[in-house]
Amino acid sequence: MNLLTLQFLSEIVLLSVVFLLIMKKNVSAVYTYALQSLVVVIILLNSFFETKDLWMLLVILVMLIVKVIVAPKFFISLIKKYALSFSVSTYLNTPITLIVIAVLIFIAHSQKFVPLTSIVSDHQMLLSLALSSMFLSLFLIVNRKGALSQIIGILSFENSIVMFAVFAELEQSASLQLGIIFNIFIWIMIASIFISMLYKHFGTLNVSSMKKLKD
Amino acid sequence: MEIFFIIITLFIAAIINLLSKRKVVIEVVSVVSSLISLVLSIVVALKVSSLGIYTPGSGRFFSIDSLGAIIVLVLGFVGFATTIYSVQYLRQEMQKSIIGFTRVKQYFVLLNMFFVAMFLAITSSNPIFAWISIEATTLSTAFLISFYNKPSAIEGAWKYLIINSVGLLLGFFGTLLFFTSIDLSSVGLVDWQTLTSNAIHLDPLLAKIAFVFVLIGYGTKIGFVPMHTWKPDAYSKAPAPIGALLSGALLPIAFVIMLRYKVIVDIAVGPLFSQTLLIVFGLLSIVVSALIMFNAKNYKRLLAYSSIENAGVMALGFGFGGLGIFAAILHIVYHSCVRVVLFLSTGNLLLKYSSAKIFNVKGALKVLPVTGVLSLIGFLIVTGVPPFGMFMTKLYILSAGMKEYPVVSLIALFFLALVFVSFLKHFTAMFFGEKPDNIEKGENNIWLFIPQILFVTIIVILSVYLPPFLQTLINNAVLQY
Repeated sequence: MNLLTLQFLSEIVLLSVVFLLIMKKNVSAVYTYALQSLVVVIILLNSFFETKDLWMLLVILVMLIVKVIVAPKFFISLIKKYALSFSVSTYLNTPITLIVIAVLIFIAHSQKFVPLTSIVSDHQMLLSLALSSMFLSLFLIVNRKGALSQIIGILSFENSIVMFAVFAELEQSASLQLGIIFNIFIWIMIASIFISMLYKHFGTLNVSSMKKLKD
Repeated sequence: MEIFFIIITLFIAAIINLLSKRKVVIEVVSVVSSLISLVLSIVVALKVSSLGIYTPGSGRFFSIDSLGAIIVLVLGFVGFATTIYSVQYLRQEMQKSIIGFTRVKQYFVLLNMFFVAMFLAITSSNPIFAWISIEATTLSTAFLISFYNKPSAIEGAWKYLIINSVGLLLGFFGTLLFFTSIDLSSVGLVDWQTLTSNAIHLDPLLAKIAFVFVLIGYGTKIGFVPMHTWKPDAYSKAPAPIGALLSGALLPIAFVIMLRYKVIVDIAVGPLFSQTLLIVFGLLSIVVSALIMFNAKNYKRLLAYSSIENAGVMALGFGFGGLGIFAAILHIVYHSCVRVVLFLSTGNLLLKYSSAKIFNVKGALKVLPVTGVLSLIGFLIVTGVPPFGMFMTKLYILSAGMKEYPVVSLIALFFLALVFVSFLKHFTAMFFGEKPDNIEKGENNIWLFIPQILFVTIIVILSVYLPPFLQTLINNAVLQY
């Protein structure tokens, strides 16, 4: 894949995080995450074509199953089970959210982060986009009041780090990557169980309504 | 091979516990596996003290340096003590109908998995695998924190899961940045040694950014202020032995992994950068926790803040350098031991008074005489009262900073004094005075205070005498870190 294609894919990832920040429906968020994961898988596939490492292909296949198929399926079933069609609100309203998004993207592209974005000089734009996605994903985690949105925010953050690692040529060996994906799979299952437990005990997934620890 | 045996033993124990339908089998298997781990941990520590660095097998997966061996030893002891205590503690809770058999089973399965993750994290030769293991500790303990299935426990566990996951992802990003010094296409699994020997090739600015991320990431697990917010909630909601493990075993493990990156960044940019950061986080942790402890209303939260304060003291020790490092390593050992004494004793208080509120606990010395005495000794140890070892470690750390950072040392001294006053205030209210009429006198079971007696004995001995092998390990660790 040439740089322009990779840049296009990175922009899709970035736009997916922007969409996650402003969307209202949980189902849309889950599908957006699935799309984002699919794009990250395609980016990884590009690195497989360069290395021709079959273990890498296995990693990509497992990632596809876990992030694009299993995780969204888990979340959709949760949404259906608890009728969570609309996500709970954000701490900041949409106009301010958009301003923060613009500022974060600007910061990620600023001179301050050149040491990070120039790890591979040819990939400076790609790394800036990956860094922007990381910043926005972090913002997603702190700005959303919904537990499900927080989970998707963390997974989106992880996707952004994977994208950064690929562009910075910091990919780890296949065995370690499998270990990381296995960890993420377990994390998704545990987080999903917690979503059920939170809903059972609080009747909502709005984390701002959890105030049982104030003693 | 000892590390393989420890991990396989604990893993098999978890599987047996999962399949077993008899409580006594689960208890026996857990105690035996933790005893085997303890014995093998001692063997590992002895080997490292004589070999320097111990790399079982080909060294591809495991590598244990002196500081790692100290932590393996600590983990072996803390793990064994908490397992023994857990057996009786959960029996008492079953008698009170707080939990049932399924919960006991769940507890011991997760406890053994938690041990596996901790042993892997501290002994792994690969930084990414260490990260995976630390993340695995989060996953195995999330359900232990929500163990009582109450809304507050679920909330505490959720906070723990989210904050630690975000923190560790930041740590993961920082870890990846450290790999920029290596051509990954020509190297397979990168170990700590390779990372350290290539540190000279790290871009200094990138090394600084990487260390900041790692410090935030592992600092979240350690509980440095301001990444500490999960800690009081998780500690106060988890069963007492889990609190002891989180503070006495997991904290030092995360701390040591963070220190391994400090060694690398020190080579790349000089020691001043990491030392300054550690001093800032350390002092902030001491000040904030001391202020909150003074007005604490819950004794388990009080211990959580005390853990944060002690993490701050350790950070100051490594930040000041020199004698401070020696004292900080010794402080880690004492801290882990005293955590067992304090957390397990609060478990006894909770069993007796059915409340974690300081206000609801009165006359505990009359109600639980042995636990009361042990708690008061624990208080004297943790606040750094002579002749206990923690007095010396705090004194050495502060005196190490007096020359170059006198203001920091004096501020720390003031707030450490405030910690003493806070503990004195709360413990006086809890342990003295008249007991409530509805509370019966007497300890619940001898096994609920034997682990604490063991650890008080260990602290007293280590306060006056360091076994030669431990002294060797500490000296080697000082040279390395």
